[in-house]
Amino acid sequence: MIKSDALVTESKTSTEASLGRNYAQEVLEKVMASVFFLCAFLAVVSVLAILGFVFYKGLKPFFGADAYSFFDFLFGTKWAPGQNVYGIFHMIVASVTGTFGAILIGVPIGLFTSVFIAELAPKNLVRIVVPAIELLAGIPSVLYGVFGVGVIVPAILKITPQVQGQSLLAVIIVLTIMILPTIVNLSVSALNAVPKSYKEGSYGLGATKMQMIFKTVVPAAKSGILSATVLAIGRAIGETMAVMLVAGNPESGILHSIFDKVRPLTTNIAIEMGYASGRQSEMLFATGVILFIFIMIVNLTLIKLTSKKPEKEEKEKEKEAKKA
Amino acid sequence: MSQKQKDSVTAFLVYGSSFFTVAVLVIILGFIFINGIPHINMKFLTSDYENKTTYVNVPSDGTADSFEMLGLQGSFNESGQWEIKDISSDSPVNEAVDMTGASWKVKKGDVITKVGSQEIEAMKDAKEEEKTTAISNGLAEGQDGVVRLKITRLGGGIVPMVVTTLYMILLSLIVAAPIGIMAAIYLNEYAKQGRVVTLIRFAIQNLSGIPSIIYGLFGALFFVQVCHMGYSILAGSLTLSIMLLPVIISTTEETLKAIPMTYRESSLGLGATKLQTIAKVVLPNALPGIVVAIILSIGRIVGESAALLLTAGTVASIPKALTGDSAAGATLTIKAYTALKEEGNIGEACAIGVVLMVMIIILNFLSKMISKKYMSNQES
Repeated sequence: MIKSDALVTESKTSTEASLGRNYAQEVLEKVMASVFFLCAFLAVVSVLAILGFVFYKGLKPFFGADAYSFFDFLFGTKWAPGQNVYGIFHMIVASVTGTFGAILIGVPIGLFTSVFIAELAPKNLVRIVVPAIELLAGIPSVLYGVFGVGVIVPAILKITPQVQGQSLLAVIIVLTIMILPTIVNLSVSALNAVPKSYKEGSYGLGATKMQMIFKTVVPAAKSGILSATVLAIGRAIGETMAVMLVAGNPESGILHSIFDKVRPLTTNIAIEMGYASGRQSEMLFATGVILFIFIMIVNLTLIKLTSKKPEKEEKEKEKEAKKA
Repeated sequence: MSQKQKDSVTAFLVYGSSFFTVAVLVIILGFIFINGIPHINMKFLTSDYENKTTYVNVPSDGTADSFEMLGLQGSFNESGQWEIKDISSDSPVNEAVDMTGASWKVKKGDVITKVGSQEIEAMKDAKEEEKTTAISNGLAEGQDGVVRLKITRLGGGIVPMVVTTLYMILLSLIVAAPIGIMAAIYLNEYAKQGRVVTLIRFAIQNLSGIPSIIYGLFGALFFVQVCHMGYSILAGSLTLSIMLLPVIISTTEETLKAIPMTYRESSLGLGATKLQTIAKVVLPNALPGIVVAIILSIGRIVGESAALLLTAGTVASIPKALTGDSAAGATLTIKAYTALKEEGNIGEACAIGVVLMVMIIILNFLSKMISKKYMSNQES
């Protein structure tokens, strides 16, 4: 009896000891799991904080006793902080036309380049073109601005009827160059993802190489190319430093020609934020709110476009599984 | 139009566009390097940005009547300053002290602008003899066995911006790398499909789409004003940390996904806990991918400007604190911007551009090399 009792207590202590160790390990496991979760959740907190702070400060001037008319803000074409006049319609027009122009030129060039890389180029040429595009993506935006000031603006000065080269045209050209890597990279992966059987089928029907590419492969990669375009829109509308150096940035006045100076939303913020205070500072945040709304539309469109695809694939897989 | 003609038109467009894309890169790089390289020399790479002037006392018995007799070799430069080209080892200048009595090392390349009460710099257009006389008069003024010299260390270099950029890289990564890696571990190793995970992924996608000027606005309001950090490297680097999260999380997650499930299963089968598996099996295998994520982040920090313009200021000096008045500092990109916008100095902007491009090319090369090596390891 005594012996067995001793045995029982012995085994008890050993299990307790191992339990204790397990317990410590278990606590650590749980603590670390929550730490990992908190780190991931920080992304949500950051988005909410950015949204909250920018919107709170940006919407402040439109409420309260000394409220500024939101209509005047959105549709005014005069920005004169000294006279308490804040209109940003001309900036919205500048941002939208600049982005639209860059997309109009940049998407076809980018698409043709990606067709070259994905379908036509011999391997040793791909080895030159792909790193070149990667490098183009890595150039800091300030340097695009420096290039714009040193090359594009003087070139425009030769053909413009106006006295300065800084213009919407310069903005469009700089943005076109800047969005090229985005479009090319995403389009190439979209084109490469098109199944080989599509191409073979197209050839089998007697298509030429160009017909095969532009009537079969490109349409099949449509959604990827569309995502690339939307992403490029986001990049173009949010670009600041390069644009600031070539836009001319007049305070007021809506543009009439492509050679007019413009002040997009982003540069309005960057130029005046350094010294603004009070109402002017709040109005810069309000400009940020408008920019943010544009960006959110772009972001949501993009997320919808990119999340649609896997769902479709999954459904197709399910169908196949059912058939089997 | 026949099919053949149509084909050649499209082919022309395809080849033309590709040529355009590559040509643009060559022109941009060519422009920056051609305009920038003439400005790059040792002085540009190694000296401070601002001129720094100091008064120093040099022991002298009053018998010296020229700088040569003080053991200095040098000559007048274009601005009338006497530039030191060499200092002999037994020169009394080596024992120079500044006005607080601390020893102050005179270096080659420093210029002497005043001796005693004689302003040499002001005599720019005077004859050589007059200058020499002024110098010997100045040296003769020495009292109590010391001669007072006004010495200027010439600036024009990018050292403060390089240091600020390095600080910015270090601080941002200290914050963003652990958080990003742990977030990726959660998303790949722990998370089950559900609303919270969808929300987190949605937030990350949104973060990567927000332009840097908006991050700048947020940083200027939250870190600079609400947290009372002022324009400082800490405010700048915390803003950058948030910007880097999506890059680090998605790159790390890709790597984690590529690690075969069997590795984890074997570890768990041997009795290891989940955390032990992550620490001893998953992370070591993910290391090359994590290094690539960090290199990509460094590239982002080096190239970032709009957010830093609103949070870290444009002062061209080395930050002396994390927050507060002396903590502001311009990175290389910000200096390239101010050099062009405020001083209209396209050469200096391009010279900084050359430094930036060299950094970016090295980073690109490194990340490629690592991922190539890593991928070949994975296959074998």
